[in-house]
Amino acid sequence: MASPSATADVVAPRSSGSDNYLTHDKGVLSWIFTLDHKRIGVMYLCSVLTAFALGGFFALLVRTELLTPGHTIMDHDTYNQMFTLHGAIMVFLVIIPGIPAALGNIIMPLQLGAKDVAFPRMNLASYHLWIVGALFMLTSLAINAVDTGWTFYTPYSTTTSTAVVPAAFGAFILGFSSIFTGLNFIVTMHKMRPPGMTWFRLPLFCWALYSTALIQVLATPVIGITLLMMIIERTVHIGIFDPTLGGDPVLFQHFFWFYSHPAVYIMIVPAFGVIGEIIPVFSRKRIFGYKFIAISSLAIAFLGFLVWGHHMFVSGQSVLAGTIFSAITFLIAIPTAIKVFNWITTMYKGVIHLDTPMLYALAFLWVFTIGGLTGVFLAVMSVDVHLHDTYFVVAHFHYVMMGGAITAFMGGLHYWWPKFTGKMYPEKAGRFGAALVFIGLNVTFFPQFILGSRGMPRRYYNYLPEFQSLHVLSTLGAYTLGIGFILTAIYLFKSLKTGKTSPANPWGGATLEWQCSSPPPYYNFHKAPVVSAGPYDGYENLMYDEAIGGYIPRKSSTST
Amino acid sequence: MSNEDTPENADKEPKSMQGSSEEQPPEPREDATRPNPALEPTEQDEPEEAARHEPPPPADGHDGHSDHGLAHTMPVWMLIAVLGALMGLTVLTVSVTSFDLGSEGNLVVAMVIATIKAALVVTFFMHLLWDKKFHLILFLTAVLFVVLFLSMSITDRGEYQKNIDLYQSTTSAAAK
Amino acid sequence: MSESTSESATSAPKKGGHGAAAPAHGGHDAHDAHGAHGHGGPHLAHHFDTYQQQFDAGKLGIWLFLLTEVLFFSGLFCAYTVYRGMHPEVFVYAHYFLNTTMGAINTCVLLISSLTAAWAVRNAQLAQRKLLVLNILITIACACTFMVVKFFEYEHKFHDGLLPGPAFHPTEQVWELETFKHKHPEAAEYAEKLTKAAEAKDAAKAAPAPAAAGAAVAETGVFERPTEEQLEPLIKAGVLGPTAEDQTRPSKPRNAHVFFGIYFFMTGLHGIHVLGGIGVFIWLLLRANKGEFGPKYFGPIDYAALYWHLVDLIWIYLFPLLYLIH
Repeated sequence: MASPSATADVVAPRSSGSDNYLTHDKGVLSWIFTLDHKRIGVMYLCSVLTAFALGGFFALLVRTELLTPGHTIMDHDTYNQMFTLHGAIMVFLVIIPGIPAALGNIIMPLQLGAKDVAFPRMNLASYHLWIVGALFMLTSLAINAVDTGWTFYTPYSTTTSTAVVPAAFGAFILGFSSIFTGLNFIVTMHKMRPPGMTWFRLPLFCWALYSTALIQVLATPVIGITLLMMIIERTVHIGIFDPTLGGDPVLFQHFFWFYSHPAVYIMIVPAFGVIGEIIPVFSRKRIFGYKFIAISSLAIAFLGFLVWGHHMFVSGQSVLAGTIFSAITFLIAIPTAIKVFNWITTMYKGVIHLDTPMLYALAFLWVFTIGGLTGVFLAVMSVDVHLHDTYFVVAHFHYVMMGGAITAFMGGLHYWWPKFTGKMYPEKAGRFGAALVFIGLNVTFFPQFILGSRGMPRRYYNYLPEFQSLHVLSTLGAYTLGIGFILTAIYLFKSLKTGKTSPANPWGGATLEWQCSSPPPYYNFHKAPVVSAGPYDGYENLMYDEAIGGYIPRKSSTST
Repeated sequence: MSNEDTPENADKEPKSMQGSSEEQPPEPREDATRPNPALEPTEQDEPEEAARHEPPPPADGHDGHSDHGLAHTMPVWMLIAVLGALMGLTVLTVSVTSFDLGSEGNLVVAMVIATIKAALVVTFFMHLLWDKKFHLILFLTAVLFVVLFLSMSITDRGEYQKNIDLYQSTTSAAAK
Repeated sequence: MSESTSESATSAPKKGGHGAAAPAHGGHDAHDAHGAHGHGGPHLAHHFDTYQQQFDAGKLGIWLFLLTEVLFFSGLFCAYTVYRGMHPEVFVYAHYFLNTTMGAINTCVLLISSLTAAWAVRNAQLAQRKLLVLNILITIACACTFMVVKFFEYEHKFHDGLLPGPAFHPTEQVWELETFKHKHPEAAEYAEKLTKAAEAKDAAKAAPAPAAAGAAVAETGVFERPTEEQLEPLIKAGVLGPTAEDQTRPSKPRNAHVFFGIYFFMTGLHGIHVLGGIGVFIWLLLRANKGEFGPKYFGPIDYAALYWHLVDLIWIYLFPLLYLIH
């Protein structure tokens, strides 16, 4: 087993029946108090997906209500609560932790050939904080669900009678969960790379997680203090945001968006990382422009801090400030486009394998491009004046969040599913689910661009009858999307019991996580592998072995 | 950040797992049977990384050279000297308030003195002078972001203050 | 190779600590491995190869955490800056109510504790157990002194009705305070005169005097033109002038309570961080007493000291901004 070859542990695939991180320790307590990053990641995955289901449920309620103008299934106050809960749950409980905490925790140390993250206890604390934050949010739901919109704008949030404090405090706690994850990842990548793995041999997923972690560490404290200030304003009435007490409500918006804009890059940059992993492997071709993609993640992270005012063009902000924010927002399109072009160029003259992860990645390219470009439309101040707070904005951010982050999350989930479960999901069902999701999200959100440009405001319960047909179409799309996800959940669960056993490297990846067994042993690697090549080099050295249904190194037909 | 890159050692067989941040050869494994090795300074400790890249610690005849061990050790006289400076600056900043230096002059002077004190604490007490440069970059980045945050918010503050004042005066007038 | 998952049952998962404002607990705890023998040395966590790597990782980790704390407080500094820019009179008004001496004492106390914390790091590096314990003790003592002084300050404020928001009802007018009278005696007198005149006018209105002539007599004698020394401090403090709450007599500036909201929030949050630091240092004191720290393993002391220096740093800025307003 301790072979002296350059690729460390496993040459021959090993069945998941032997001792691995899932079977190593038994009992609920061994999970609650685990320090194993893989277990923590799996717990995060389950929790995040559960929250996704809950947030999705609220989304379906919102869309159902919007089938007709006026009352359909609920009254207007309840409607406000529904869309607030949908937004708050999706943003704070699902997408921000999403890829970093669930997939990143499991995979990143494996990609580094490390035994764990730098601070395993902090990792566990991060997960427990997520649970506590989620409980606070649920408390708000139980008492009198918050109805301010996930953006908690003052002065409404400081004066409404709904349970704002538990929800805001829940988000505050979730902020710490996010900070701990980010801090951990930065230190891990600085201090625990194996011999030979220079910064520019890191997998792009790691680069993405690193950039995300920088944002998490720098931006999240600001939302922390903002929410705290809002809570104190609400309870003690100090007068920072309430104009009747001499406060400034737009100051809240500055504080809020200083975090929340970088937050959307927390949501999407890890998604870029996942796509950067999938595309070379399923094109059997080295990534094009590795350095550009790596640096562009950092550029996006940095620029993301300079543009928060583009959410506030119509809030009374000065024209000078607006102009600056608008110009810098245009700039962000550049590193983003660099990534998209590089991915496409990677596929050019590659051998494309249209497995489920690749389908999601291709869907991402299409859908995210639409979402990203519409963001640039909104960056134009004169256009934004008309489109602000309309369904155009809703469509834009759902295209990038659902079509971008969630699609990439699904792709990564399928890509790494064999690695951390040791089972293969059924490929046909996977492709069908991907198709349903793709169709569903386009049918749901494309009509919303049209609705918005024709003047339908967002967060409105009632609307003019002329908008109804598009709303109905959008709702149908939402149900399709829901069915797609439910089907995906079903076959994924089923695969846990009856799925084919997965080899160590079913897709032929060249990054280090494919060099340990599926599932990995609890200690990951006996020795840190010595890295002598880039993460997307050497596909020609891997050959597909029919017998095991996966890839093995070409040279070692005799395994140790 | 050059500390962070490892040389390519493709042919090298590592005897043990190495953290990538080190450029020196792997240290021989600690003998676990030695009683309380953590409490004994040993020659086997890696030469301190910072000693190569950062300016050498100021020469002092006193206790504690830093060249062995994991990090530089502050000499006592330096600690006390810094405290003295900090106390002196505190006295200064309090006494300056009795002079009137114009509308914002006092604030500026107070902030300058505070920044000097902060610089002393960060450089000496928090060790940045002998630490990895990356930590300094991190700290300055934080300061930079605070400045960014404050400056944009302040640039905007004049924009709608009139509206707030108008609103307040009309509501309080109405209340009366 | 030994294991991580089952042994971890001894360490409780770290929560947010004191209202989630002192998560330093989680960060520090992660660097020590309880009873981690046989990996390659005591106190060397299983996922690190060398003490140097472990120490460096922890150092980077704590610096990142300090970054987050700087950004966390920046929101409050931003609110302060915006407010002071828009309503300078509120700040001038409020500062007379604060006790600069107590603030200065607190500053000195924290500076001394910073010294002892930095010294403690040195002691740990040199395995000087007794000195280490002593320095940690002094740090804790200074921190507690800080909190005690703060407690007395808060008590005075409560007593004087200087509470945030709608609870702001100062028992004394600003021109009646010793600090104000000491600095601007003529202005204090002038404000008294104006107040008396206004009260007399009210009394006359409430009980219309039989002799209108008598009332007229009471009014005279007040309206000589005020001097610079009499008027200016009152206008600067928002007692008189366009920003004053009550235009008929000396009062307070319209949003005076905002200062105290900011004051309590900033010092309160800072105080919570001090409490967190005390907790961490107590825990380290117990470990230091057992002789856990030495040249290969002094990370926790170093990281806690760094956190403590940051707490001191924040106070270095809070002190002039809140107490030394001119």
